[in-house]
Amino acid sequence: MNFLEGLINYIAETYTDRLNYFPSNVKTSLLIILFCVIATLEMYIYITFRRLSQANEKRQLDKWNEHVSNMLANLIIFDEADKTEDIVAHFYPKMKKWPLRNKVLNKVLISEILTYHKSFTGQIGEVLSILYRKLGLDKKSKKKINSRNWEVKIEGIREANEMRISEMAAEIIKYTDDENALLRMESQAAYINLSENNPFHFLDRAQERILDWHQVVLFEIITKNKALKIPSFSQWLRSPNDTVVMLCLKLVEHFMQFEAAEEVERLLKHHNPRIVKKSVEIIGKLELASAETSMFEIYFDQPEDVKLEILNSLGKISSGSYENFLMSRIYSGNVKIKKEALYAIKRDQHQGEEKLRELYQQTTVENQALINHVLDSRIKP
Amino acid sequence: MSRILIAEDEVLMLKALEFKLKKDGYQVDVASDGKQAMEKIKQNTYDLILTDIMMPFVGGMEILSYVKNDPVKKITPVLLISAVGLEDVVLEGFRLGAEDFIYKPFNLNELSVRIRRHVKQNNFA
Amino acid sequence: MDEFLATFETFFNNAVFYYALFVMGSYVALALLSAVEMNGYMKKNSYVSYREILVSPLAPPVSILAPAYNEEATIVENIRSLLSLHYGNYEVVIINDGSKDNTFQKMFDFYHLERVDFAVDYQIPCNEIRGVYKSKLPSFAKLTVVDKVNGGKSDALNAGINVSSKGLILCIDVDCIVQEDAILKLAKPYLEEKHMVIATGGVVRIANSCKVEDGKLVEVNMPRNIWPRFQVLEYIRAFLMGRMAWSRLNGLLIISGAMGLFDKRTVIEVGGYDHSTVGEDMELVVRMRRYMHEQDRRYAVVYIPDPLCWTEAPADLQILGRQRNRWTRGTIETLLKHKDLFFNPRYGILGMLSYPYWLFFEWLAPIIEFLGLSIFIILAVTGHINWEFSSILICMVYFFSVALSTVAVLFEEMSYQQYTKGKDLVKLLIAAFLEPLLYHPLTVYWAIKGNIHKFTGKNTWGVMTRKGFSNTKTSELTDQTTT
Repeated sequence: MNFLEGLINYIAETYTDRLNYFPSNVKTSLLIILFCVIATLEMYIYITFRRLSQANEKRQLDKWNEHVSNMLANLIIFDEADKTEDIVAHFYPKMKKWPLRNKVLNKVLISEILTYHKSFTGQIGEVLSILYRKLGLDKKSKKKINSRNWEVKIEGIREANEMRISEMAAEIIKYTDDENALLRMESQAAYINLSENNPFHFLDRAQERILDWHQVVLFEIITKNKALKIPSFSQWLRSPNDTVVMLCLKLVEHFMQFEAAEEVERLLKHHNPRIVKKSVEIIGKLELASAETSMFEIYFDQPEDVKLEILNSLGKISSGSYENFLMSRIYSGNVKIKKEALYAIKRDQHQGEEKLRELYQQTTVENQALINHVLDSRIKP
Repeated sequence: MSRILIAEDEVLMLKALEFKLKKDGYQVDVASDGKQAMEKIKQNTYDLILTDIMMPFVGGMEILSYVKNDPVKKITPVLLISAVGLEDVVLEGFRLGAEDFIYKPFNLNELSVRIRRHVKQNNFA
Repeated sequence: MDEFLATFETFFNNAVFYYALFVMGSYVALALLSAVEMNGYMKKNSYVSYREILVSPLAPPVSILAPAYNEEATIVENIRSLLSLHYGNYEVVIINDGSKDNTFQKMFDFYHLERVDFAVDYQIPCNEIRGVYKSKLPSFAKLTVVDKVNGGKSDALNAGINVSSKGLILCIDVDCIVQEDAILKLAKPYLEEKHMVIATGGVVRIANSCKVEDGKLVEVNMPRNIWPRFQVLEYIRAFLMGRMAWSRLNGLLIISGAMGLFDKRTVIEVGGYDHSTVGEDMELVVRMRRYMHEQDRRYAVVYIPDPLCWTEAPADLQILGRQRNRWTRGTIETLLKHKDLFFNPRYGILGMLSYPYWLFFEWLAPIIEFLGLSIFIILAVTGHINWEFSSILICMVYFFSVALSTVAVLFEEMSYQQYTKGKDLVKLLIAAFLEPLLYHPLTVYWAIKGNIHKFTGKNTWGVMTRKGFSNTKTSELTDQTTT
């Protein structure tokens, strides 16, 4: 005990009476020590406090989760015979009694309604939508959409999107070309689902980039939403925004829009190599034999990956017009080009494999190995 | 009373299905992941198994192939719930012997009718 | 003489003080930067749903490359968990690097392999590939096994690159526990950056004492053994604070060899992994970066702080020592090979900040520390020490390091909070107190040893054998690692 008392006295003296007599570096060190110790202690307090409040929030969350999910699960298991109004009239008064101002409850309620709304089709959606409105949650979503904070905006947009509140489309369109990429993407996604007349209007005004990631998301929404009226995407292939062109090319490909053939062929002269490559890919996929000559014309000016794509597309079309060209490619110095040309030859439905076997007899050892590789169907190209 | 097992990892979905099938008058067992489901299937005999495809540890396809390769249990109808409409998964499921496929989002009342039919057919068989 | 020593002592004290101040200042700067980056990342990613890309045909194709050398105990299980990752478009390439045990036979039997007529395009040089194998069963169609003549990890990865068919390559340690969504998260930056991304790296976390079932992590626990526990703290500090900050500056020099996703074309353009260094993971990133600078191409190296990869840390001091020894040599070799980067403005952040930082903090810091300690001992023996002043200086460094580790724990708390049990958290905080006294001196010792080995030509790899995770179906990772 004496030692501890001594230590405390020593520390106290060091930081009071003696502090000014130390050389400046030692003095600074003492102050840094003091700072570190206090900071560490404060962090302990903060961590402890945080854990406690987390535990508390979790308790509340569990409680409300149980409550809300029981109520909603009871609500959605009505019979076909029940009328929507009757169901609402039965459950609304009970839910109205909940302390809806409670943040945790509000969060739980919204997220569970959203989950059920997107998991089930039929009358349930209607019932949940009516309840959402009657409980005033739609007004809260709208308020969120017009908040100043982008995270809150996104939250509101998501709610409107999931609940399919179509009148919010007008509020959302203004964000579809926002500087903030995340907000932009969420708005575009929601707009497609919510706009009744012109879900692709945002493509006309898109100046900001649609990132590849967001193209994936939009592509999924557009191709999975069966209620959507699909326009001809060739109308945006002249957009000055390369990312819009790219997205529309992917959609032309997915929906096999043959009416875009001419526009796609024109894009072979585009300045962006990624767009050129995608156009070539589509020409192959749609087997647009009319574009073969244009592809051949640009071939020698292209980087390697576009060349490979052209060979691939020539193979898919396999009209026979460029067979000699494909044959000549197997004497290229680049193994990848050779392989791709061999695959293209193999694709010829009638006698592709035959031709390769014939070729095998009269070519170099290296090419023979490549032909074996190409003929081995267990290897995926 | 017919006995049904539901395997589903989304808590809310599981609850909705459980409530619905209980209301329809079945005796319902639930499993919140594939592993639990497997244990229950090994211990009990069910009149129908309703399982999600994507679950932690053991997926719905694995459960399906276990049931359909068991000489006794293979008569149990298995219904798969799938969120993604991937054609090859569906084909693989039917090949392995699944009785039916349900895509999310689905109509709960329609599911209830389908289940009733499969349970009935099974009891007559 | 006495007078000289007295003056020297003052000078020494001042030198130590200013050096410490400089080091501490750098750490504070890094911590601040990383806090900003972390905050941004967490905010941004709480709004991201990965569901779309999971099933999308537009997801970028990925080849997983995993070299295997004498892994017969675990290889079958490891491959199985790699085949069950959540991603639409990927293949798994296992490279058997001339194992001396039954690794190849195990794979061959379990996965029903058969040889295919693969014509390997040797785009980067590697040892002879004896054969390429695919499974006869359609359910393992994603798997390719490469059997080659032994040539070390770099050589095996290069062979894998030559055989792989996709545009992105994920290089991993085959015995890691990979989170199911790892590819999704690592691939995402390739789809969203304005500039070309050449590499993304993930966090490595420590799996000792964690509960693993069927190759999946089901419960995170604090390691029971003290040495892995120190490494938990060390990794949290390095990954959440250090690398996050460097990522913010786009100055990241190292992507852990245990998990990194690379743009294959760039890797091939720079010639693949270097066989001659034991720090091949760091060296590749440095070489790719300098190549991009030399080509005047804008690029990014991105770092994903999510816990995506869990590995067993050495619990045995001898093995741990060998690992650190190797890391030190790897760092030195990389730095020496690229010494022209040093304060070279042509290489931007890489030359002006990253390189000097690694030189001073990763290579020289342990040496300076060691020298400082030696001088201190000499002064102490000759009686030229003001014990009070020295103690205060040492206390400053000690409390600063405790505070810094606590900040790291706070970062972890506010982000991923993997250690949910209160008891584990307390253990971690206690480790922060003990680390500077018990663990840090050892790391300095190993680093010095690494330097000595490097410059006396003892360049061995240090074999690291592991105990399997999965001999039994449910196994808890033990803290003991066998040699």
